Amino acid sequence: MAYHSATGPIGAEGRYWDALLEGRLELPRCKGCGQWHWPAVWRCGSCGGWDHEWVEQSLAGTVFTYTRTHHPFGGTEAFAKPFATLIVTLDTVPVRLVGVLEGDETGLRIGAPVTGTIARTAFGDAQIPASRWRLL
Amino acid sequence: MNPNLSGLVAAAGVGYRQYKRGTAPVPERGVLVRAIVDACEDAGFDPADVDGFVSYGDDKNEPVRLMPDLGTRAINWSAQVWGGGGGGIAGAFGIAASAILTGQARAVVVFRALVEGNSGRLSAAVMAHHLNDHMVSSGILAPAQVCAMRAQRMFEYHGVPYELCEELVRASYYHGSRNPEAVAYGKDFDHDEYRGSRIIAEPFHLFDCSRENDGAGAILLVSTEMARDLKKKPVKLLSVAQGTEAGYGDLLENDVTDLYPTAGFRAIRERLYGTAGLTPADIDVVQLYENFSAQGIASLIDHGFCSYENVAEVVRFENLIAPSGKLPVNTSGGNLAHGFVHGFVTAVEAVRCLRGESPNPVAGARTCLLAGGPGAPTISSAIFGID
Repeated sequence: MAYHSATGPIGAEGRYWDALLEGRLELPRCKGCGQWHWPAVWRCGSCGGWDHEWVEQSLAGTVFTYTRTHHPFGGTEAFAKPFATLIVTLDTVPVRLVGVLEGDETGLRIGAPVTGTIARTAFGDAQIPASRWRLL
Repeated sequence: MNPNLSGLVAAAGVGYRQYKRGTAPVPERGVLVRAIVDACEDAGFDPADVDGFVSYGDDKNEPVRLMPDLGTRAINWSAQVWGGGGGGIAGAFGIAASAILTGQARAVVVFRALVEGNSGRLSAAVMAHHLNDHMVSSGILAPAQVCAMRAQRMFEYHGVPYELCEELVRASYYHGSRNPEAVAYGKDFDHDEYRGSRIIAEPFHLFDCSRENDGAGAILLVSTEMARDLKKKPVKLLSVAQGTEAGYGDLLENDVTDLYPTAGFRAIRERLYGTAGLTPADIDVVQLYENFSAQGIASLIDHGFCSYENVAEVVRFENLIAPSGKLPVNTSGGNLAHGFVHGFVTAVEAVRCLRGESPNPVAGARTCLLAGGPGAPTISSAIFGID
């Protein structure tokens, strides 16, 4: 695994970060029963399998929920206030990702379709790979 | 073995010291020792005979370090509920009760202490418990933001009116303004000030968020039998439940869709009421842990006092205030208006209101629900009662 976490230990999702660094979104599916797991797991709690395959996904989905942050919480210096953070339900897999909204915020609501890109977020000395989203 | 703890242990003493954040007169452990001795004096119990200690929320005061000040003869039990937030507050009473009922300890103090000069800001400590690169790379650094996203879903998708937050906040301030111990003592709630206060993270304004205080709280738990020989009227623990269910909590916001906007208490609701043999209709008073206003409302829904459909009929100022409301909530002002030492004031007021010591008494109250920290990955609640 190449990625070094900025905040603490990484769980079973090392491959996720490595793929993001290479510009791809990959998510894990149990090879035994086919279930998608997010957060990533070492062992599938459904079938007991230990093998997972990481499958590339497109950054497209809908807004599950959101907040627009106004208070300058320490650690959010990378984003001009206010900024909107979205929870996005991906179109292709039953997984939600968290990421910041870019561009026009008109029409921001639960259920709004969005499309994403992979960027970097400055956090202290770290540059964390992260998804960014735009309203369609 | 009796499989039901209902009524077998009781709160015998209460101690609570609260200061403006950053102004405690002594460091954290000193404030805590004072609160524990307060609780013992309230009960008429020698602090040296406390042989068990339980806390929650990553409290930093290891009980062994309290021994010289308390004169503790022996510690027979020490434990803490997992979790960085207030989800474990009621569960701590369950751990204490388990020790007493199995003979592993005789007199157990449940406590929480928080002094900024020692432990820093609570919001930062809670977040440090949960932070990961997924969140910080998306600008999520505070509990307010996580709870805001869940609240937004409850309001926008499930149709709970945002205006109900003000009803709950106003009720808390109404009670707090009549409580000399409260931060809001003597202050009237002002609609324009509430609505006009700065936005923290939408939908939350400043007054939707709990403040932080320096302070410490302690409640002495003993067997109900022993409590009858102590100074104050025993307040029995009728039920306690802690836990979580599959598909909820610490899942990178991937909770099961219907559970996401809840406060997490659906997992324990049946056990909680079942152990006590009670229903929501039997609860006379609620001490509601509200880290944020919306999570307080979600907690009331989870605990069965209302639903998404009829929440506006229940969460009304007139209905939430003592003594006239049908569901008096946070009769001392709660976390919002009494003060916030990681929610401990809600447990303190649960005992006081049943003793008739509340600043806003509820005549004839016999049962009080302590609804623990909402939205935490592991949550807990308890029901207290008197004969």
